Parts: sequence; structure tokens; C-alpha cells
Amino acid sequence: MKLIWRLTFRISFALSLLLAGWAVFFYVAVIDEVNDEADDALEEYSERIIRRHLGGEPLPAADDGTTTIYSVVGVDAAYADHYGPERYSDDEAYIPALDNEAPVRVLKTIFRDAEGRYFELTAATPTIEKEDLQEAVFNWVVILYLSLLLSVVFIGGWVLWRSLRPLYVLLKWLDAYTVGGRNAPLDNPTRVTEFRKLTDAARRSAERTERLFEEQKQFIGNASHEMQTPLAVCRNRLEMVAADPDLPERQLGEVLSVLQTLESLTRLNRTLLLLSKIDNGQFPESEEVCLNDVLESHLEAYAEIYGHRGISLRVERQGRMRCAMNGSLAEMLVTNLLKNAYVHNRPGGSIFIRITDRSLMFANTGDPLPFDRADLFKRFRQGGRREDSTGLGLALAESICKRYGMEITYAYADGEHRFTVSRP
Amino acid sequence: MKILIVEDEMSLQEVIRRSLEQERYVVETASDYESALEKTAAYDYDCILLDIMLPGGSGLELLEKLKQMRKSESVIIVSARDSLEDKIAGLELGADDYLPKPFHLAELHARIRSVIRRKRGGEMTIEAGNVCIRPDQFRVSVGGRELELSRKEYDILSYFAGRPGHLVSKTTLAEAVWGDHIDQADNFDFIYAQMKNLRRKLKEAGATAEIRSVYGFGYKLICTEE
Repeated sequence: MKLIWRLTFRISFALSLLLAGWAVFFYVAVIDEVNDEADDALEEYSERIIRRHLGGEPLPAADDGTTTIYSVVGVDAAYADHYGPERYSDDEAYIPALDNEAPVRVLKTIFRDAEGRYFELTAATPTIEKEDLQEAVFNWVVILYLSLLLSVVFIGGWVLWRSLRPLYVLLKWLDAYTVGGRNAPLDNPTRVTEFRKLTDAARRSAERTERLFEEQKQFIGNASHEMQTPLAVCRNRLEMVAADPDLPERQLGEVLSVLQTLESLTRLNRTLLLLSKIDNGQFPESEEVCLNDVLESHLEAYAEIYGHRGISLRVERQGRMRCAMNGSLAEMLVTNLLKNAYVHNRPGGSIFIRITDRSLMFANTGDPLPFDRADLFKRFRQGGRREDSTGLGLALAESICKRYGMEITYAYADGEHRFTVSRP
Repeated sequence: MKILIVEDEMSLQEVIRRSLEQERYVVETASDYESALEKTAAYDYDCILLDIMLPGGSGLELLEKLKQMRKSESVIIVSARDSLEDKIAGLELGADDYLPKPFHLAELHARIRSVIRRKRGGEMTIEAGNVCIRPDQFRVSVGGRELELSRKEYDILSYFAGRPGHLVSKTTLAEAVWGDHIDQADNFDFIYAQMKNLRRKLKEAGATAEIRSVYGFGYKLICTEE
């Protein structure tokens, strides 16, 4: 939920409670005031009637044109004792002057004449329609509520938008930020202390991340680099031992197998160096490369090398895929995927390659991945330890694709692994 | 034949020196920029193995100095930095070859031989026993008679002829002949098939050079005197 909506909801909720309370209070106050006025008039009227009644003067006719009506009835002492001397109530009554039933305010007064007889005077005067008042109050409160709400949304939204702009600038920048990528500098001038601190914190954190990332990259590069010379020494010493004609055959075998292991170590090291070079963008020179030609130039050699596994190969040439990229990286990309298709195949399986103007697909038979496919392009992720691969081939292919904005995707369907490289 | 090794890593320097001495070269060593400059100024060498990163200066600077001194030594750059820029810079400054570390001793010997051969000029054939290879024409003759070889067979033979007596592992051979991107395949049947044909052809032609299998690991070219 966006901050602005959250604030709006909260304010509307608080406002609705407040206005409901206020409407009740307002209504009660108005009714109270109206009743007060009516009661005063009724009291005066009743007093006049009672005075006339007691003085034996004639009482006003029932239909004298005023809207106030009255009646005088005799009551017993017990009733008078129980209800006296006066009480107010709300009722409905027929008003002859209005020729209509109307809500009335009623005053009943008990009084006693000289002989000690009790009478009850009921005087009623029309008063306001309470439903009407309720409705009016309700309507106006709703209108007030809505207009307040609208102002809250618009003024609040505008104020929030204006004052939170640095926050949104920062958020946008953070969203677009990628470690080690080409990031725009964070330009977020603001006078608000909190936002300035937040911006500074974000910038510092990004710089720190960037530095760590850079250091790590350099470390991998340097480590691989520094290993080259010791590796060379080890290998060459062992080669000298192996060249010694006096060496018994059994020892020679040992030496040769150590040499072989050293060779895989060398290869691993070289590939790591290569990966770090690609990630550092140290292959600047680009040329127009046709992946078809690269592919064709290696097909024969691979078919020969993996000939013993009886894998059949079919190539569908639907178009020519041309990319602007470094020639040796293009070669590495194609050969790594080709090799992958042979190595992770089953004996007697098949490979299908389809090349179009925009994409290059390698499909090969094989068992499903023994690990999560999200890890497929990670370094050293491979189905079981294999002697004949470094576990870096797909990571390398992905790095190359990423470098040139190409996309590499993987799918497994019908017992086939499918890798597709597509051009942007 | 006199060779100067300019290498600051003493252990590597020693191995290279011993290995070259076994090949009957006269070997001198220098382990920093200053001593290398002194030696190259004072003496003439047939070939200089030059490391790029040296204490006191860069191998590329030394190369420039050599050029200014109008020295005619063949120079092979040996560098841990396997980068194209270094290679291009080195070759432009007049180096004859570029060998990234780590390398096989057999490879180093082959490069030295080829550099020296080129410097002497004229002699454009490689000989092993009575087998004679003419790289400019892709032709092979045994005892003067032409030998028909397939492309792969020719590649294999010329690779071994450049490294006589040296053990070449199957992996190295595969890399050299079938291409750079071939990792250690789990099966080397494809080498075996080519090798069988090549050996048969050499034997039938009566060659005194023979490619011998060494303990299932690799091969070695031996010249047999008959």
C-alpha cells in the first residue's frame, strides 16, 4: 500500500468517527434549544389558561386560529400526587388550525381550584419535525465529511507528493541500482534533514558495496594470476622428472597422473581468469561475427572427439545469426554450448542445433537436472563431479551473453535439454 | 647456442635453466631489470626468454632498449599475463614469440628451436631421423620419398617433429591439433585412431623416426638409428 493511501485511509477513518460524534452532539443541542423555546411558550400559555380558569373567565375557543391547543380535565388527588405539578413530553396531535396531525410539544400541568378539586391542563404546541431535522443534520454532515475528505486527499496528496519527492527519487534510484553495473549518480538535493541523511546513507552504502564488489573481483583476478607462476614451476619440475630416462615406470605413472591433475588446475585457473576478465569488460574489441561460421568450424572436431559415444548430430540452418562481439568470446560461447551438449548427453543420444537470424538453439538428449535449474548458470554447479569439465562452461556462456546484451535460456522438455541464445 | 633467461621467479628460472642445459644450450640468467640490461648490453645471445613483470622495470622496456642497441637477439616473451594487449605490444616491439605461463617445457623448446631456425633463415625443413617436413608446402618425405598424409596426421607429425624426445600428453596434443577449446575429454579414442594410421604409414615408408606411446599418458617421438 502506498504511503499516501495509507494516510488517506487513516485520516478518513478518524474523520468519520469525529463527524459522527459531532453530528449527534449538534442534533441534541438543536433539539434542546427548540424544546426550550417551546416549553417557555407553553408555560406562559398554560399560566394564562389556568389564571382564566381559576378566575372564572371564559377560556379561549378551541379554534381561535392559533396553533396551540389545550384541554382541561378533572383528576383525582392520587393522580395529581403522582404526576404533578407539571411534565413535558413529545407527542403527535391533530391541530385544527393546521388541519393536520403534527408533532407537538406537550405540557401537562396539575392545578387545584379554591374548592380543592384537581384539574389537569394539557397544552400542546406544534414543534419541529425531528425526522426532518435528523435527516438534514445527517445530510449536511455527510456533505461536510465528503468535502473534508476530498480536501484531505487533494491537499494531503499534494503536500505529501511535494514533501516526499526526495524519498521517491531515492527509491527510484535504489530500484534501478545494480551492483557492479553502470549506475547513474544519485542526484537528490533536499533541505529536509531526514531525507538528506537518508540519501547520504544510501549513497555511502552503495559506495561500500561497490568497493567490496570491486575488491572481490580483483581478488579473484589477482589470485588466479598469482597462481600462474607457481603452477608453471610445479608443472615444469615434474616434466623434468618425467623426462628422466632412469625413472622406473611405476614412478613415471605417478608423476604423469600428478601432471594431469596440475593440467586441470591450470585450465580451471585460466577459465577463472577469463571469467573475471569478461566481467571486467576486458574484451573491448568487437567485430561482426557470424555465429554460423563459428559453429561450422568446430562441428567436425567435436564430432570426432566425442565419436566414441555414438551421438547423432542434426543441424537446421534457417538463417545466419550475426552479432557484434569479440571474436574469441563468440568462439568460446559456441564451443562451450556445443561441448555441453556432448558431455551432458547419453551414449547413443542425439543433438539438434537450430540456427536462425536471431537465435541459436542447442538441444540434446539427457537426464533431467539433478539440481535446481536456477543454479544452472552458477559457477561449479554440475551434475556430479566430472573429471572432464571445469564446471565453469555455462557460467562463462552466461557471462558472455550478458556482456553483449544477449539472452540465454534453458528449458527441459521431452527428455531434452535446450539452451537458446537470442540476440537483442 | 647461448640463451639468456630473464625471470625473477628463482624456482622457475632454475627449472628452465636445467631443462635448457639438458638440451645442450649455454644458459645465462638474470633475475631483475638492471642485471638483464647489463648482460644484454655486454654479450650477444641467440635467444632471450623475457618475463614482462620484472623487479626494477618492465620486460617491454627492456625490449625497447634492445631495439635501440640494434641487437639482433631473438626474444620470446614469457608472461603470466595472458592478455592480448601484452602480446600485441610485445610483438610490435620486435619480440619473436609470446608464451603465456604456465607452459610445457616441450612447448618452450619447440618455440626456441623455431625462433632460432627462423633467425638463421633458409633452412625451412624440420627433420627427424630420415623424415623431412616442409612446413611451407605441407609436405612430408621419408628418405627422399613423398609420404601421403591426411591433414590431422600431418599436424600430429609436425607437432612431434618440433619436439623430438619430449613427452607430449594426450591432452596437450588434442589441444594443439584439434583446437584450443577441447578440455580433457574423458576418452582419447580419436587421437588413437589417427595415431594408429600415422604410425602405420611411417613404418611402411621405413621411417627411422617413431612416435612411441608412453605409459598410456602420451607420446614421444624417438629417432631410431638403423
